[in-house]
Amino acid sequence: MSTAAAPDEGRRERLVKLGSAAVFLAIVAVAILVVVSESQTDGGNTDLEGVAQVKADLRGIPQRGLVLGDPDAAVTLVEYGDLQCPACKVYAEEIVPEVIGSKVRSGKAKLEFRNYTIIGEESVPAGAAAIAAGEQGRGWDYVELFYRNQGFEGSDYVTDSFLTSIAKGAGVPDIERWNRDRKSRRVLAEVSRTTAEAKSLGLDGTPSFAVEGPGTEGLEPLPFPESARELEEAIDEAG
Amino acid sequence: MSAPAEGTLQRIATFLAASGIAVAAYIAIAQADGGAPACFSGGSGCETVSRSSHSALAGIDVAVIGVLGYALLLATSLLRGDGARMGGFALALTGFGFSVYLTYLELFVIDAICHWCVVSALLMTLLLGVNALRMTAYVGRRS
Repeated sequence: MSTAAAPDEGRRERLVKLGSAAVFLAIVAVAILVVVSESQTDGGNTDLEGVAQVKADLRGIPQRGLVLGDPDAAVTLVEYGDLQCPACKVYAEEIVPEVIGSKVRSGKAKLEFRNYTIIGEESVPAGAAAIAAGEQGRGWDYVELFYRNQGFEGSDYVTDSFLTSIAKGAGVPDIERWNRDRKSRRVLAEVSRTTAEAKSLGLDGTPSFAVEGPGTEGLEPLPFPESARELEEAIDEAG
Repeated sequence: MSAPAEGTLQRIATFLAASGIAVAAYIAIAQADGGAPACFSGGSGCETVSRSSHSALAGIDVAVIGVLGYALLLATSLLRGDGARMGGFALALTGFGFSVYLTYLELFVIDAICHWCVVSALLMTLLLGVNALRMTAYVGRRS
């Protein structure tokens, strides 16, 4: 019996040795791959506020450009905003998420952000950065995350580094392309176009809202809303 | 229950590794000129993942690393002896661990799923199972 057991014992010992070596090598290899991968992402978004919250608010809602929600939704609610505007930040944090939850997620309306740059020169590159993020499907992540990390007005916080950290936090897939796009004449012209449009509509501040749907005659500016409920009612009436 | 014959396990591993090479090569070729693989059911998941900063590792396309990994697994599936058995298991375990990490990135960081990456992860999981079985059943035995 002992002669029959010996080969089995030897095989088991060999299996344990080789198995342990294989597991060790695999752990080391995976650790190296993960460390290299993590080191190249440079943690650009680690200091940002609200990354998880924004992601949770927008998860599962389609985005195209700066339009959030079902592209075929009958009603379009347009926010004319300036990313540097403190009042817009308050709206982004307290009112817009409610409307997204009640009307956009359900497909009743889509929500479009249009730049209306009135605060200062830096509002233009900020708005262009949001449009460029939108071209990679992260426009609303960019807008929402920018508002949540907005600096003090006039404090010159809108630097390339700040804009890039927002892009990384928003999950913009191709930062190089985003950098090219946000500086392009085409995108900068779009910021000017929507700003001119807001002026032509007679909007005199940010955020301003307008709604368009089967129940409206084109894009109709709304009175300054005090609550999410007013925006929701405007959507219902436009539908 | 006895394990399948080692030759059978080797043939299965060969088929899986060859399939893995095909999938990873398709992704690598699709990405080579700045493009992206097409997802089966449409959508932009594959494009989003392809353009993510995580699609390259130290400047090397992750899909190219996948081709190399599957090629090594193919080699171990064709070779005999304990070295090949252990190598196949270690490579498959590495591939599986890395696939778990990449799937985590897709779900929680990139926030998009590439169907081809899912296929690759499934192939690697099956390869781990086959190579683990080959190793536990046949290490220390004559080929």
